[in-house]
Amino acid sequence: MSTSGSPNAEELAREVRLYVFRQAAETARVPQAPEIAAALHRSEADVVGAVKQLATGKVLILAPNDGNIWAANPFCAVPSCFRVQVGDKTYSGICIWDALGICAALGHDAVISAPCGDCGDPMRLEIRQSRLAHSEGIIHFAVPAHHWWDNIGFT
Amino acid sequence: MLLFRSEEHIDRWSQARDLPRGATLTPEQGWRLAHGWYKDKVKPDWRRHTLEETEALLREVGLTGPFWNLRDA
Repeated sequence: MSTSGSPNAEELAREVRLYVFRQAAETARVPQAPEIAAALHRSEADVVGAVKQLATGKVLILAPNDGNIWAANPFCAVPSCFRVQVGDKTYSGICIWDALGICAALGHDAVISAPCGDCGDPMRLEIRQSRLAHSEGIIHFAVPAHHWWDNIGFT
Repeated sequence: MLLFRSEEHIDRWSQARDLPRGATLTPEQGWRLAHGWYKDKVKPDWRRHTLEETEALLREVGLTGPFWNLRDA
């Protein structure tokens, strides 16, 4: 296994980053280590190491229970209630910021559906030509900026 | 970061969890913040913003004050 921080490890982490984010953008699905390893012709152990390195660098977020990629943020690896519709693809974000971030990262027109955090009432935001064309509601950040990464899941 | 129907809904959500109210953004501010933060994330030459770049983005979006401080208190 490559040593984290070595030139080889840095290069692999870059390859993994490019593959993960490209796949997430093109397919609306975030790949996990076995798929990444097969696609890049690398050992799964090396890829797991690269994924951990990317998580340490806050490039992506790991699930606390199994070490899988939880989010190649803004792209969430599991379905969420923050949905982004782009053409025939449906993306998920882990929060409303990331749902908006998916629209920004893709650069396409998109419709976001998200529930009110209190009552669950569905709301809709729309991005057209890189502008917020329709919106409703108010965004609330519960955690001060300096503490966002203390518990990114809650944030 | 959640979306709420109104200020009243934020108050109710915070009180139900015994949490202090945080900070609010208009959806327009949220879009500008997300755009500045994520617009390059899929690009090959993406890199993390520096602390100074992130502070500049927050200022551009109008997010100033202690809640948005990124440095150690």
